[in-house]
Amino acid sequence: MIWTVAVSLLGLMALSIPVGIVLFLLGIGVGQFFSPFPLLRGMGQMIWSSSASSTLIAIPLFVLLGELLVRGGVAARTYAALDRWLSWLPGGLIHANIATATMFSATSGSSVATAATVATVAMPQGERMGYDPRLFSGAIAAGGTLGILIPPSINLIVYGFLTESSIPSLFVAGLLPGGLMALGFILVTALICRLRPGLGGPSRSFTWEERLRSLVNLVPIIVLFLVVVGSIYAGWATPTESAAIGVVMAALIAAFGDGLKLSSVADALVGTVRITAMIMLVITAAFFLNFAMSSSGMGRQIGAMIEGAGLSPYATLLVVILLYVVLGLFIETLSLMVATIPIVVPIISGMGFDTIWFGVLMIILIEMALITPPVGLNLFVVQSVRRGGSMNQVAVGVIPYVAVMVAMLIALIALPGIALWLPSIL
Amino acid sequence: MLDSLHRGICRANRAIALLLGLALVIMTLIILCEVVMRKLSLGGLNLSEEISGYLMAAMSSWGLACALVERAHVRIDVIRQKLRAGGQVFLDLLAMIVTNGVVLLIVVKCWPVLEKTIQRGSTANTPLETPMWIPQGLWFAGWAWFLLTTTVLSLLGIAWLARAQRAPLDAALGMGSELET
Amino acid sequence: EEHFAGVGTWSNVYVFQDYEKPFWDTELSKLTNGEMSAEVNSLDQMGIAGADVYRMLGDGVFDFGTTIADYAVGDAPELEGLDVPLIAMTPDAAHKMIDAAEPMVKDIFAQRFNATYLGMLPHPPQVMFCRDEVRSLADLKGKKVRGSGRMTTKFLEALGAQGVNISFSEVPGALQRGVIDCAITGSGSGLDAGWWEMTKYLVNVPFGGWDTAVVAMNTDRFNELSEKQQTMLKDAVKTGLEDPIWAAANDRMEQSIDCLSGSEACKKPTGAKMEIINFSDADIAKAKEILVSTVLPDWAGRTTPEWVSRWNDSVGKVTGVQIAQ
Ligand code: NA
Ligand code: NA
Repeated sequence: MIWTVAVSLLGLMALSIPVGIVLFLLGIGVGQFFSPFPLLRGMGQMIWSSSASSTLIAIPLFVLLGELLVRGGVAARTYAALDRWLSWLPGGLIHANIATATMFSATSGSSVATAATVATVAMPQGERMGYDPRLFSGAIAAGGTLGILIPPSINLIVYGFLTESSIPSLFVAGLLPGGLMALGFILVTALICRLRPGLGGPSRSFTWEERLRSLVNLVPIIVLFLVVVGSIYAGWATPTESAAIGVVMAALIAAFGDGLKLSSVADALVGTVRITAMIMLVITAAFFLNFAMSSSGMGRQIGAMIEGAGLSPYATLLVVILLYVVLGLFIETLSLMVATIPIVVPIISGMGFDTIWFGVLMIILIEMALITPPVGLNLFVVQSVRRGGSMNQVAVGVIPYVAVMVAMLIALIALPGIALWLPSIL
Repeated sequence: MLDSLHRGICRANRAIALLLGLALVIMTLIILCEVVMRKLSLGGLNLSEEISGYLMAAMSSWGLACALVERAHVRIDVIRQKLRAGGQVFLDLLAMIVTNGVVLLIVVKCWPVLEKTIQRGSTANTPLETPMWIPQGLWFAGWAWFLLTTTVLSLLGIAWLARAQRAPLDAALGMGSELET
Repeated sequence: EEHFAGVGTWSNVYVFQDYEKPFWDTELSKLTNGEMSAEVNSLDQMGIAGADVYRMLGDGVFDFGTTIADYAVGDAPELEGLDVPLIAMTPDAAHKMIDAAEPMVKDIFAQRFNATYLGMLPHPPQVMFCRDEVRSLADLKGKKVRGSGRMTTKFLEALGAQGVNISFSEVPGALQRGVIDCAITGSGSGLDAGWWEMTKYLVNVPFGGWDTAVVAMNTDRFNELSEKQQTMLKDAVKTGLEDPIWAAANDRMEQSIDCLSGSEACKKPTGAKMEIINFSDADIAKAKEILVSTVLPDWAGRTTPEWVSRWNDSVGKVTGVQIAQ
């Protein structure tokens, strides 16, 4: 069954049918051919309940936050400031892509929103300055994934929700690995561009005066981070509520900065609705597909397979990681989490691994899934901002960053403290 | 005629998206009020948890058509980009008609949800006791609107094809390659 | 041979792990001499919302379904009477209450959900985890409490607490940061979910009732069985599922309280050391008074007079509570 599903998925998607619709078609197919039950009768109920979710309101809120920062010019100024500080490195502007993505990750809970924000401000620059599109757009897609590792994070909220673990602990646990990974992205970019200068752009240097003066442009984003994350730790707001506080704060920052025109507010709202609906079609469809697959016994098959193998804890962990890498190629990430956490986390924690630590590990795997073709939401988002060119270019551009993610996974397994140290002292 | 029908449906969807966006703004303010009132121990409104769920449902049905006319739904172009214009048109139309069919099925399967709610007079399992036909009715209407939009676009696509008008066909059903900003 | 597939309660709760799953997956076949077999998935694994389980069951999406009755009160407000807080303080009393409600529940399931009642499963009582000292009803005034379900939340508000509506996932964080002062859940799930890490006081009063789950089968499917098979299935659910859970209910409840308080009787100590607080008899009486004078009549307004009189004659009789009409 797993193979039939995978092959149909690829085939239908290759026909350029919208991904959400393909997932629905597969769910219908699985229900008809592999399940003894008339699952279609439950379809409406699944669609209603998976979309009427107050936890998911964090998605449009974080998207809107990003849109406001873009349209209020905050994103562009942040990008310009980071350009002053980092473009002397081999690879030039690509480092600003990564650093901007990292900073936006600290205010946004969604990788897709982060990638969309950075792509919108960075892509025109890269195109204007004649960068090789592969590494340039790959860095945005990969950098954007940090949005769910560095707090706040919608996916960590979902993980905490499903595993009943502390969301604030998860948030702090993601901080250090997120920072290290951003550093890793920068290092690998510099290394590649040192070896193959054609892949990057010109290294540019700015005077210290220019750099220091640009620092003021980083203030808004830092304030926003402090407000969004601070409101959670001060006990004022839940993580979802902090997203709403962030939106109001972003609107104020944008309004007091360049000022927000009414028409650009309208564009921001329409853009938010458009992106949210696009994501929600995929999520609802994935929920239905998950429902179809688990009622036809697929979840069971996987669980039994892992448990029945009688492997040592680390071998099991390896199997689980490989499972996520493979499934992550094809499946939308939030639904991948929803589908697998109830099966995998009990097995993993039963083997003595820490749930918070595994949450961070899983998020890195999910980040990988976001940028691996054929289904990689961040690839799609970055591609949708580009003017022309094939999606393959973005997919090739992320390869070095996937390597960094693999290195991070290994480091995290060897030194769990990377994730667990901060929660233990806070 | 065809073009103005297409423009009309695009404009209607933009207006709908704007309304949804405004609802999101209001929701944001309600959440903010609740946070502040709770912090000041003024008692809560306690609306946001429940209503934000309904808003999400409305956004994820009514917003679909907006995403569709602005070509924001994710499509994979690995094969499509290798085809010549004729093949691309074929795939675009196929994608739209398949979407139309699936959405038709979804609408048919979503109706019983609302129907049961109306028959039983179901309310939300919350102190607010919201009559569920209101949020579910809104949600269902959004899917019905999406069905109408996909149907109109499919028919427009066929009509344009019959008249061999490739440019408007590509503009309406093709692959969105830029997120307009 | 008859094979059933269905949905059970939460995968992380002992009722599912230790009873439902083994019962459907293996015991049923043994109890029916191989004439019946089944497979069960938890609702969280299937990604089904609690409120959808019986709706889908009625549509025949699966053969049998088990979920907390309280999740379905949006579709069947009369079902709220099954799990009234505070009128049953011990497992024995809860057992009597639930037995008395059985004929009502049967009819509700037949009328509302096209489903045939098979049995009811209790969870540990729903108690209150608090950050700060709450020793009496007076202390509860103004506290921000996250309740579960409609009647519980209304009850808390009638008691002077401030009901806060946040999703389950956000409870631990909200407790830790003081967004809320108290939260209600089953003592067992609170233990498993580590709520004791964020709270110090456990108010051992069943503010949320017993979270009774109802096992039911799609009626069309049930009618496909021969009469003999129908009896066989009902008996199997009773002896293989219901009875063992009841038999263990007292121990389970005591164990979870022992483990939350860090008492030596706890078999699997977690390090929890909560102070267990029992309200005075006077406070309980007062709370019950408020329940009877405000919360239950409020429920009566949501359902029909017929259901209220049936409730008075059954559950009301064994618990000594009457709703004025
Ligand atoms: Na983030
Ligand atoms: Na992927």
